[in-house]
Amino acid sequence: MIFRAVEDADLIRRAARGGVEAFNLLVSRWDKRVYNYLLRITGNREDALDLTQDVFLKAYQNLRKLEDPARFSPWLYRIAHNEAYSMFRKRRPEADLDSLEPEGTETGIAVGGSSVFPMELSLAVAGALERLSPDQREAVVLKIYQGFKFEEMSEILGCPVSTVKSRLYTALELLKLELAPVKARGAS
Amino acid sequence: MSCSPFDLKDYFLKELPEPEGRQVEAHVKTCQPCREELERLRLTQAALFSLRDEEIPQRIAFVSDKIFEPSRARRWWTAWAPSLAFATAALAVVAMVMRTVPATVSAPAAPPAPVVQTISDAEIQSRIDAAVSKAVAAQTTEVKSLVAELENTRRGLRLAAAEYELSQKRIGAVRLTAYSMPPEPLGEVK
Repeated sequence: MIFRAVEDADLIRRAARGGVEAFNLLVSRWDKRVYNYLLRITGNREDALDLTQDVFLKAYQNLRKLEDPARFSPWLYRIAHNEAYSMFRKRRPEADLDSLEPEGTETGIAVGGSSVFPMELSLAVAGALERLSPDQREAVVLKIYQGFKFEEMSEILGCPVSTVKSRLYTALELLKLELAPVKARGAS
Repeated sequence: MSCSPFDLKDYFLKELPEPEGRQVEAHVKTCQPCREELERLRLTQAALFSLRDEEIPQRIAFVSDKIFEPSRARRWWTAWAPSLAFATAALAVVAMVMRTVPATVSAPAAPPAPVVQTISDAEIQSRIDAAVSKAVAAQTTEVKSLVAELENTRRGLRLAAAEYELSQKRIGAVRLTAYSMPPEPLGEVK
């Protein structure tokens, strides 16, 4: 565990009182995680970067509305989720959000024709994740990669815990069928 | 279908409370299908972890970044001040050169006209001199007036730039005050 001289909750209190430097420190602690979350649900580096910037600006503007500093991370990811879906809606307003797919290809997240995941297993994982529905993929990203609890995921996604579990467990079943045999063969 | 007393995925994802978790552990020790299911979940998770987090391609801008930027008036002044100074200096040089012209023009008129010249020639010469002096004086006055006007404009621009900068500082101060306004009371940490 990384020792932190100042806890996030202290920084949040200071930032909420207008402490710009405290907020800057919070940004530097969380920007990589938020960026990777957005990268995995949008499949595009530029979008993920722009959205990350917007997320922290919005977080700063609304920090005083955060009642419990201990809930900072789900609150921040809720903003990120809303920003990403707002972008999806703007780009394809007529489309059903369930049908929205990230821009990655079957060879991984593609930006300017370059693949992000060159290894065989990574390709298999990227492909398997891509075949999930956006809701299922986001549930996997939040649970497996970001380590949130069901209750926090429910807060981020704005849906009941039962829905979160249903999406995640369906996704895990699909991923298990595809990836467990590959991993067991020792592909890497 | 798992025969575990509680959901194996809940257990695997550490979402089960401690007592229930212990019951699952005890069950798994004696149940091979559940052990195999847990192993498949573990392999799946290990495969998913082969996708590493990426480094963020560029630093996210801090909210304080803009405060350190020079104001628009300062940027404008920095870009245009050298050109303006050069133009002013050039006009001043032109004005000085023009002021010296009457002296050189009137100098040849100083020597007295030869006796052999007729009065009418002298009169013509004096009329020419008078006309040249008048034209040069008019030109000099015009250049002086232009220089003075340019100087006034320059002062006006400086004043405007200073006022603009001051207003930008005031806006910045208002923003900072807004940032530093005491927030609504935060809730207690649970």
